[in-house]
Amino acid sequence: MPSLSSEERQLLHDSLSEFLAENYSFERWKKLARGPEMEGFGRAEWAKYAELGWLGVALPEQAGGAGGGMTELGIVMAGAGRHLVLEPLLGTIVLGAGAIELAGTPEQREKLLPPIAGGKHLMAFCHAEPGAGYARDWVRAIARADGAGFVIDGEKSFAIGAHAADTLVVSARIESDQGPVGLFLVPRTAEGVRLNVAPALDGRLGATVGLVGAKIASEARLGDRDEDMLGVIDRLSDRGAIAVCAEACGAMAAVTQATVEYLKTRQQFGQPLSKFQVLQHRLVDMSVSGEEARAVVHAALQALDDGTSGAQRTAWAAKAQTARAARFVGSQAIQLHGGMGMTDELAIGHYYKRLTLCETLFGDGEWYLQQIGAAATASVVSV
Amino acid sequence: MFIRAVEPNRELDAFRAEVCAFCEREMPTEVRSKQARGQHLERQEYDAWLKRLGTRGWLTGKWPKEHGGLGWSPEQFLAFQEELGRAGAPPLISFGPTMAGPVIYTFGTPEQKKKYLPGIIRNETWWCQGYSEPGAGSDLASLTTRAVRDGDAYVVNGQKIWTSMAHWADMIFALVRTDAGAKKQEGISFLLIDMKSPGITVRPIIGITLGHHLNEVFFENVRVPVENRIGEENKGWTYAKFLLANERVGNVDIAKVESYLAQIRRLLDATRDGGKPLSQEPLFQRRLAELEVGLATVKALMADQLAAARANGAPSLMGAAALKLRGTELVQAILQTGLEALGRHGMVYQSDALHAGWNGELIGPEESADVIYEHLYRRAATIYGGSSEVQKNIIAKGALGL
Repeated sequence: MPSLSSEERQLLHDSLSEFLAENYSFERWKKLARGPEMEGFGRAEWAKYAELGWLGVALPEQAGGAGGGMTELGIVMAGAGRHLVLEPLLGTIVLGAGAIELAGTPEQREKLLPPIAGGKHLMAFCHAEPGAGYARDWVRAIARADGAGFVIDGEKSFAIGAHAADTLVVSARIESDQGPVGLFLVPRTAEGVRLNVAPALDGRLGATVGLVGAKIASEARLGDRDEDMLGVIDRLSDRGAIAVCAEACGAMAAVTQATVEYLKTRQQFGQPLSKFQVLQHRLVDMSVSGEEARAVVHAALQALDDGTSGAQRTAWAAKAQTARAARFVGSQAIQLHGGMGMTDELAIGHYYKRLTLCETLFGDGEWYLQQIGAAATASVVSV
Repeated sequence: MFIRAVEPNRELDAFRAEVCAFCEREMPTEVRSKQARGQHLERQEYDAWLKRLGTRGWLTGKWPKEHGGLGWSPEQFLAFQEELGRAGAPPLISFGPTMAGPVIYTFGTPEQKKKYLPGIIRNETWWCQGYSEPGAGSDLASLTTRAVRDGDAYVVNGQKIWTSMAHWADMIFALVRTDAGAKKQEGISFLLIDMKSPGITVRPIIGITLGHHLNEVFFENVRVPVENRIGEENKGWTYAKFLLANERVGNVDIAKVESYLAQIRRLLDATRDGGKPLSQEPLFQRRLAELEVGLATVKALMADQLAAARANGAPSLMGAAALKLRGTELVQAILQTGLEALGRHGMVYQSDALHAGWNGELIGPEESADVIYEHLYRRAATIYGGSSEVQKNIIAKGALGL
């Protein structure tokens, strides 16, 4: 399976940490997040990421990529997580590119992937619908053949980055509510597409998508047949889940480090807070939680790349573990910062909010425990 | 983050098959059947099995070849341990092979190596660990057992406690105070003491398991030849710390954790609540899922430690401590779930059933006594080998610089 050598991975990691440490300070983050353009991220930054090769890291070499896999995407997401990177990496290089790679025809891949690697094309994954919750197989939107193309009607839940994506990957049943689920590349500006733009809990912008008689061309359907894409959607959702876990690992490492530093300098009762054993142990618990998540996420990234039989279960375990860790580390970072942690001015609260998103995107810890429990019971019954 | 590959080593497959076949062929029948029933082994039964493993050099496979080991990587040792677990073999005993042995070949004299290492390799000598004292637990360096030089011997007086297997041991490695005036870490020496020496008394401590595993060891004017001292006088703390670092990683036995979880799954299948198997109750399904997540995590931490050891020659402090903390918590959580099932059967504890030859009538599931014993015994998992709280102090200082 695709993967880079340890040396290449190290170079990728170094490129991320060096560039972001220098160019993505918290001050810069604030300007990008709340700039007058109201996009909530930086277009110039995106172009730079393309130049540095991050956007094509998991794309094939023919598409201008580096030929890596999930592990390499994990390295990028972890680096992004450390700096709360706002640009739409998840929607574009994990989910958008992933959908094209898994479901597209060779022609579609050849045509659509190079602009992603080149930073010319932003995407968002619009699959979930109101009423679906975290269920992955719930699709009520319908795509009907109409002349040379399709007409789509349906409603898609809030997706971060949808407001700025060039293309929305939309799932819809083909012809009837019993039909197979197809994936369609819908231009955001197509007629009949209505966006309701709003900020998420962490301030990142996104949108719900209403499709009313949205007309798209026939080549906008991924694949070339009326093929059911629920299996692809399942795999994409696992990829999305593990990618946000990787992002959370980066964010947890950064916020734990910031908390350690803060407690070493903050004086109370005539000594640094870091001298109090109860606080030392809390910091250790935060570090160990981060370490656990990192280890199991690493195992899951590798299992997905290797395509091992238990890969999905490992990915689910990783999401459950990371969700719990993210909640604990994020909330304790605020707790140990005290009042300062509650201010919008400091980065700590923003890490907390991002970790909360990471905890819930693609299913929270409880949901994954349910899936694991159900799968374990099913496997016992089938034996 | 995520840079190093952590895949399992396929090269060990042939070795695994060899260990598996060996267990199949060589494990004595009584050991096998007692293990299957969760019954406890007598010393001679345990000894016979360990000696068989010793004929292959496997007890000390991870020692360097120059000291009589086989030069195994940490991965190969783990594979060995896993295969033993799968074959239903009793756990390895670490006092000789993992603790005394490495201290002796790292810091001992040529005479000490010659005298003691072969006995560990072949399991001809059983060792125990003389560290804790009534007044020195987590604060180990405050120990007060005294050794006073008298000619070519030390005269040892004092008491050790929580000494696992002292009643089976031929030798004890002990920390003793040789300089009462120095700072507490600086007046300690490391002695190898023959358990048959006049003046040693071993007194059993019956645990909450009702089993005899722990002991007190009393020293009254025990003469120990000076040649039995490891390294320099008053430098014993250095050797003790070396040994504790080995103990931390050796403390998590993944194969054992897996077998506990399998046992608890069986117990939940066999236990009814309103006629329905507990394993089908959503609450227990969720619990099992949590335990599965915990196991995946601990396995990943272990794989990561092995990869770190391969790359840097040593496990990371943070990783090793995380593994000890979470591995022991997971074991307790698994066994706690078992206990919740046993509540449905009235929480009967027929500890006599753990001994061969008991012919009473068993109440409840066959696993009951074993699960309760293990639950009680592993309550100490977060205490022995450096309590969780001490582990946290170590990480706070060593890894976070607090």
